[in-house]
Amino acid sequence: MLKLTKTYILIIFVLILGPGAVFSQTTTSPYSIFGLGYLEGNSTGPSKAMGGTGLAFLSDRYINSMNPASYTGIDSLISVFELGLFGKYTIYSTKHENQSLLNANLKYIMMGFRITPWLATSFGFSPYSSVGYTINTTSPIEGSTLEYPKTFSGEGGVNQVYIGGSVNLIKGLSLGFNAAYLFGNITHRESSELFSYSLEDATYISNFNIDYGLNYQLDIKKWKYNIGLAYGSSKKLKTNNVTTIETNYETEVLKSRKYKYSIPQNIGAGFAVSKGFFRAGVDYEWSNWENVEFTNSYLRTRNSGRYSFGVEFPSPGLNKGTSRMVLYRFGAEYSGSYMIIDNIPINYGAITFGAGFPLKGVISVLNASVELGQNGTTKKDLFRERFVTINLDLSLWDLWFRKRKYD
Amino acid sequence: MKGIGVGKKGRKILSFFVFGIILIGSCTKTNEFTIGKDFVESQTRLQVIDTFRVDLSTVLLDSVITSSKKIAYIGRYEDNVFGSINCDSYFDVAYESFSEIEEKAIYDSSAFILNYTDYNFGDTTSLMSISIHRLTEKIEPYDRAYLFNTSSFHYESHATGMVSFYPEPHSSDTAVSIPVNALGEELFNLIRDKDERVSTQEWFTDYLKGFVLTSGTAENKALIGFKASSERLVMRIYYHLDKEEPEKKEITIKMGDAAHQFNNVKFDLTNTALYNIKMEGNEVPSTETGNQVFMQGMIGLLPKLRFPSLQNVLAEERWKILKAELIIEPVQYSYDLFSLPDSLYIYRTDKENRRAVLNNDESKPMIASFEFDKYLPENNRYTYDITSYINQELFDAYVDSENGLMVGLNEDKLESSFERLLVECKHPRVKLKIYYLSY
Repeated sequence: MLKLTKTYILIIFVLILGPGAVFSQTTTSPYSIFGLGYLEGNSTGPSKAMGGTGLAFLSDRYINSMNPASYTGIDSLISVFELGLFGKYTIYSTKHENQSLLNANLKYIMMGFRITPWLATSFGFSPYSSVGYTINTTSPIEGSTLEYPKTFSGEGGVNQVYIGGSVNLIKGLSLGFNAAYLFGNITHRESSELFSYSLEDATYISNFNIDYGLNYQLDIKKWKYNIGLAYGSSKKLKTNNVTTIETNYETEVLKSRKYKYSIPQNIGAGFAVSKGFFRAGVDYEWSNWENVEFTNSYLRTRNSGRYSFGVEFPSPGLNKGTSRMVLYRFGAEYSGSYMIIDNIPINYGAITFGAGFPLKGVISVLNASVELGQNGTTKKDLFRERFVTINLDLSLWDLWFRKRKYD
Repeated sequence: MKGIGVGKKGRKILSFFVFGIILIGSCTKTNEFTIGKDFVESQTRLQVIDTFRVDLSTVLLDSVITSSKKIAYIGRYEDNVFGSINCDSYFDVAYESFSEIEEKAIYDSSAFILNYTDYNFGDTTSLMSISIHRLTEKIEPYDRAYLFNTSSFHYESHATGMVSFYPEPHSSDTAVSIPVNALGEELFNLIRDKDERVSTQEWFTDYLKGFVLTSGTAENKALIGFKASSERLVMRIYYHLDKEEPEKKEITIKMGDAAHQFNNVKFDLTNTALYNIKMEGNEVPSTETGNQVFMQGMIGLLPKLRFPSLQNVLAEERWKILKAELIIEPVQYSYDLFSLPDSLYIYRTDKENRRAVLNNDESKPMIASFEFDKYLPENNRYTYDITSYINQELFDAYVDSENGLMVGLNEDKLESSFERLLVECKHPRVKLKIYYLSY
């Protein structure tokens, strides 16, 4: 058993050490041209089916990294290993046309377990933000009446590797933290195949960051009431820029550019009720983007607000409470994002539904969810993204402590 | 229970999704995606400048190597562009240990046989006259290697043989034969008598030093190229054996060392735009030659281009040259009689007009791309991509405006043809188009 746990850890480290290979370009959206790119959020498997709701939920047989105080909820007898994958089909629309893209990738890998009855830990790897776009356009050849094709592309993003801990101080009250190392690079490139040149602007980003969380649970009769709070302070990120111009004849490293990247102060609050295998929750999150500087002149920022709710209920009938029980989930999410382009706010909305299917014969669950959503608008010269995302979360449980006794 | 979380089925599901995701991932097509173009902020500007000054001149080479070209040009051509061109061709003959001539042998006749090539310049429908003369000195290559369009050797003033004919240059089975009966008989007798003059190579070359093919008495109107090789430029001595049934026999004397075969070109530019080119040190600017510059193969005329304002590019900061094109247009209506060369090379050159072939990025000689429009002759042009040359010139932040480029045939064609080109210098100008990126 211990051997296999080691295998998980090994997988995590391989993926952390070679993140470029696996976690590259997890997004494809022209909106990711701005700032740190598309913010991935930190909801995992079951939460994803519930509109991303999870601030007040305790971890149970899955890891809820939205609120580090939740780790104390991890079943005392198991270690949890979670692997997230996604596939996304997006239709991009302007007033005049539609284009579509498919993309898919690994989303996260994490692990969690209890160390003592009052102390639990989790660690793992997940993207914080990602940049991925390719925009083909034309540009004038000055001094002539001609234009030439030119491609703008971007890739990369910020990843985080974290270790978190959570303690159960007094009955019902848990406090937790996530210490993360943020690292990655964002590359913006403009190039022309016809004239064989590219200007590549690569910024390497890193810093440490700590998030805090609180969860308080009140049991009244058979009902449990949870309040969750999460807090992260704003943090400037260290940057190191390398700008290179390359032609058929030479490659020159230009003077480094100065970029300021930071992550905003973040406050979240959630409320959840649960009874037996039923639970429901609402979340609100606020991020102080107004104080974050962006270099793109098209963009203005505002403080973002995210609202969501989610419900989970068991399959009725004979399977309820057995290892064959299926959990159904649904929810919705609305987010007024930090982006204002041309005085038009870019808002995000989605409805979600999904289910957790126990895998027959093994102590694992496959959480599948579908997200139908839209981002942006076709007003003015902007564009709207409508997408279908399928999230798959494989939650593997290892009866670590119990099994070891019999080895 | 064996295994941890993932059982047989779980593993199946997992691998199914992983493969599925790899497959879906490969579907993404991004090279046609255009949405978002309003967000991009270009940090580069691509500019094209074609107003660089290009100074043109016509350069006359001191000499052109014409030996070992496997072609013998004979004839004369005259027009008002390149004046009169007269070409003679020199060669010597190979010694063989001649086989014995039988006692009953009776001499019949002799002739030099000339075979056509595809290279002819001028009016090939007019009567052509060629005579052959014996050399009075041996052909000695300069520096034991080369002979030039300017080389010549003494020869007997009276012709050994002469022929007049209407050329049939495109019939492959017709040859021109120049009767040389007296010479043939002399050789026949020497061989039959085993004279010492035909007994060793040394004696033989002392006796028969070589020949020159030159225009005969008629006014030739074309330059005709004949094959010059040991198999295709030969003298034949015909005789027969005096028997009941006469038996025809022949002796073949072949052309000798290819390095001793060359073409002598005499030209007279007096009545042309280039009349003073020799007085001006073998180079004359286009402004003195009617805003045209001239290229001609075996005369050795090459257009030279210099870029005196190229240095100005350096005044700008933060730029990269992405492409430099040189566009050359032929003078309109200058190629009615003579078609335009279909392949033009380019040479780098310096103050002394030395030249070296300019290579492309694949280290092969750069050839102009040639656009030929039958119906819109103003679109006919030669374009060179000289990006790497321009980048090299600018590399050390100093441009020597004495250096430049020469437009010409490839070395082999230059030395073995009379192909020509007139380059227009004013309407339109020769253009150097530089595309550069500033950032």
